[in-house]
Amino acid sequence: MKRMIKFVEERNPLHEEIQGYGFCCSLEREKAFEAAELRKFAADLMVSVSAACFSYGAKDVGHIKAFIEHDDGFLRASTLGDPADVTVEGRDGGPASKFTVVLNAVIYGLSKMKVRSAAVEAFESLVSAYGLVSECEGDGEGHPPRSEQGRNEHD
Amino acid sequence: MKLVQIAGYLGSGKTSLIIALTKGLAGKGKRVAVLVNDVGEVSVDGSVMEEYGLTVKDIGGGCICCQVAGSMLKTLELLANGPNPDIIIVEPTGMAVPNAIRETVAMLDVKKVAIKIGPTIVLFDLTRSGKLLSYDTLKRLITTQLKDADIIALSKAEMVSDETVRESAEAVCAINPKAEIMRLSTRTGEGLANLVSSVIETTVRV
Repeated sequence: MKRMIKFVEERNPLHEEIQGYGFCCSLEREKAFEAAELRKFAADLMVSVSAACFSYGAKDVGHIKAFIEHDDGFLRASTLGDPADVTVEGRDGGPASKFTVVLNAVIYGLSKMKVRSAAVEAFESLVSAYGLVSECEGDGEGHPPRSEQGRNEHD
Repeated sequence: MKLVQIAGYLGSGKTSLIIALTKGLAGKGKRVAVLVNDVGEVSVDGSVMEEYGLTVKDIGGGCICCQVAGSMLKTLELLANGPNPDIIIVEPTGMAVPNAIRETVAMLDVKKVAIKIGPTIVLFDLTRSGKLLSYDTLKRLITTQLKDADIIALSKAEMVSDETVRESAEAVCAINPKAEIMRLSTRTGEGLANLVSSVIETTVRV
């Protein structure tokens, strides 16, 4: 007899107050990034998203991480919220004028919408500062997500 | 095919351990596949592991201990009926409850999937031990994760003092006195050989 398997598949109550948000973007700039500048961009991204989450009222950073890939190499960046302790490692490869960024932020003490707003605002600001042009993949609700939805939202 | 969980709170070093552990297991002739579950809508860990040459199956859309438990079972069936690796390492989200995953795996039809259950290894981040246990909600989650462990690996041991290691070991031992507690540093390699042996030799349930 075939076994019947049924899952409730509801969020575990122990996950209360922990929310994650992620997105993927292609970035481009006429002047190619040398390895050191791309590593700095990765580190700045970690620090910026972390700071934005705290400015929105996060109790703690669960984990913010990014995967940056170009034709000739990749970087993995992560932080647990301390700007002095950001990890960037991987294989640099040659200069890159185009690359993709996958970002994932998991935060304790913020609603999902606020995590989303913090991540997107920090990302957009950094993209502008580095003179990059971005094209982002959808999260089902249009992308880049609308950052103005976050600050006044009630949990 | 043996299933081994590498669990533990966010940022405790699961991905780094899996990359190192998989190399150690491959060195012993074991074929390994990794099943990764990230919290956000997109997976970072899976992409990183693929760059390091690992065979990876990503499960997204929620946590495999609750929201997408069914997807995990389907993926395990596909792995068993396809590449059929010697060892499947499951990296759940940092929020996952290990026993909930074990209970889900127990629902597999043994006629379709012959699977042994290996040890559940739970990482405890020594650099954040006091901080994480100071929040009520997190304390409940982390305590639950530790209670479900067969092995508790005190991670990032190279970054803290021996006194911090000792205090943390006492704290986690009070939570789960039955678990094996060990020091781990994926940077220096401390504890890795021990974990490779445990993954190969320990079977919790057939």
